[in-house]
Amino acid sequence: MSLVTSLIMRQMRAPIITLILGYSISILGMVLAPGIDEQGNPWHMNFFEAFYFVSYTATTIGFGEIPHTFTNAQRTWALITVYLTVVAWFYSLGKIVSLVQDPTFREALKKNHFSRQIERIPESFILICGFGETGHALTSVLTKRNIHTVVIENDAKKIQTLPLEDFPLVVPGITGDASNPEHLIQAGLQNPKCAAIIAVTASDETNLKIAVTSKLLNPKISVICRSEIEEYESNMFSFGTEFVVNPFDTFANIFAMAIHSPSLHLLYDWLTGVPNTDLSNPIYIQPGHWIICGYGRFGQGLYQQLLKSNIHVTVIDPSEEKRDRFLNKSENGNNDFIIGTGFDAHTLTVAGVTDAVGLISGTDNDANNLSIIMTARDLNPDLFIVARHNKKNNEKLFAATNANIVMQPSEIIARKIRSLLVSPLLIAFLNKARNQDPTWANITISRIMGGLGESVPNIWTLQVNEDEARALCQVLQLGRVIRVGNLLQDPRQREQQIKAIPLMLKRNQKLLLMPTDEIAIKSGDQLLFCGTPGAYRSMHWSLNDLHSLNYIMTYEDTPDAFVWRQVNLFLKRNERRNRPRRNRHLMK
Amino acid sequence: MNREKVVFSFFMILALTLNFGFFAGEVDNPNHHNVYELFAVVVVNLIATVLKFGDRSQMGAMLLATSLVALVQLFSASIVWAYVVNIQGHAMTPDTMSTIISLSGGALIANFISVILLIIETSTMRH
Repeated sequence: MSLVTSLIMRQMRAPIITLILGYSISILGMVLAPGIDEQGNPWHMNFFEAFYFVSYTATTIGFGEIPHTFTNAQRTWALITVYLTVVAWFYSLGKIVSLVQDPTFREALKKNHFSRQIERIPESFILICGFGETGHALTSVLTKRNIHTVVIENDAKKIQTLPLEDFPLVVPGITGDASNPEHLIQAGLQNPKCAAIIAVTASDETNLKIAVTSKLLNPKISVICRSEIEEYESNMFSFGTEFVVNPFDTFANIFAMAIHSPSLHLLYDWLTGVPNTDLSNPIYIQPGHWIICGYGRFGQGLYQQLLKSNIHVTVIDPSEEKRDRFLNKSENGNNDFIIGTGFDAHTLTVAGVTDAVGLISGTDNDANNLSIIMTARDLNPDLFIVARHNKKNNEKLFAATNANIVMQPSEIIARKIRSLLVSPLLIAFLNKARNQDPTWANITISRIMGGLGESVPNIWTLQVNEDEARALCQVLQLGRVIRVGNLLQDPRQREQQIKAIPLMLKRNQKLLLMPTDEIAIKSGDQLLFCGTPGAYRSMHWSLNDLHSLNYIMTYEDTPDAFVWRQVNLFLKRNERRNRPRRNRHLMK
Repeated sequence: MNREKVVFSFFMILALTLNFGFFAGEVDNPNHHNVYELFAVVVVNLIATVLKFGDRSQMGAMLLATSLVALVQLFSASIVWAYVVNIQGHAMTPDTMSTIISLSGGALIANFISVILLIIETSTMRH
């Protein structure tokens, strides 16, 4: 029995017993009350008649004195019946109404609803702790990729508005403190369907606690944490947290990629983007003088990357302590540090904004960042601007500044976590791609654009095993050779290719970038593909359906049951008559 | 002493005793079976059932089940009685009476199991 039914029943005991007593006393009284029938004979109601009378009186329907006109004794009891039963009904109804409004009951209802929503999730789900900007962005992109998510959030208002959000999947949400293990268990931490937990609350300490709790209570699931402070980061790694995502480090790495190889950066942007959105344009960063306003975690991360590329940098920050530390390091010898805020024209001019090529406005205050951008643009309209965007509700303002790169921590984290979850191979691919020369990235980019069109492709991993590619495994066991190119044939029309590109092949821990069509597939291989959603479905079909695979491999559509084989032979005889005509038609 | 337990046990045992009172006597003799007693059995059984609502333990579920069985049996008996007397308009016949009594006999067994379960539960309780 669920908690809700049990709560209702427990609360309804008193009203129902009141009703039973009211009815039974009234019925008994009506049976006992002396009456007289039309002929003047003494008469008593039997239980059936009394139950009938009490039923229509108690519900205030009131058919009248049936079957015979009442005597005064019966009328006296009828009066008592009216007050007794009608009051009993009022009491019971009042009790039901108050039960529905009872906070404990509502809480129980909500929990019931939540657990039923989780039960209805067909496959695995990912538990997201914290439904702030990052949690929201993450939920949005994961549900778009057809991955179920469950949300736990401290703020009841955010959970209340959850059903109003326009996510493609139902996202069950529960109000609770994610640092409390009880609440995490309620949210489904120990549910067998829970595949991963993502801690993206605003506080590093809470995230750490979530990671510890999950590793202790359900060691099987993978844990991904957001962290902005280094000590917490190393602490999280120390007990086996799979991934710790630091938005500033992540962005600095992406920025470095953009400096070194714009085409590689573009490839990264396409493959990690939200599928079916428009492909982004390449970003070219000119060598020359750069200015960094705000030397916090963000500014320092980017500074290190610029330093590695031997770019001359001027740092602007109001902290003298930071300047002393900056000047003490010998590696910073060529670069300047100016005390100031950066949103006044004077400081920017001193920093050399007029002949700088780029400016990074990286303070943790959006108003300051916007002001810096506006002032700098006035002084030098050609500046390449990197803006740090802290609060989600300032989105329109940052879009209006036309900054070349806008860094939003929550989006950076969401993007990184999504690529971690959607395909671990993708991360390996991007890491390997980093070591390739720019021409390789250029070729890959043009292949993706030429083969898949103008929108961000879907990414999927094919594992050659019984679960994911049943038919393929069966055919491989027979000793037949299937090549990568075969997988790209359309199972509907084998002469055509599906819109997919193999990005990487993983075999025995060895990675091979951009495998060619001739490579024969072995059992246990993992292949990373990008392509359209339709291509994914087609590939899935041919991998799991023996007939489709046969059709692709042998150019024959063969049924496997005896009767159908006979039917097929018969059909083929008919087909042969039609074939010349069809072929002629195709040749035209 | 727990007042709730007293009320609970009272109604369960009363349901059994009243049921037995109605059941006792020659099976097909209407004079041996009082309609008021049947009414009382139905009412007391109803109350006993409602008192068992909302108990989430295994024992609670068993008790509720036995009570529901008794109710089904007693309702059937009452409906047979009302049908014959009020709808067909006959006087009570020995045939009908024996049907009613055998139905109430089923309810008696269910009520008996209820009380046995109650005794088991009480005796396993440690103080």
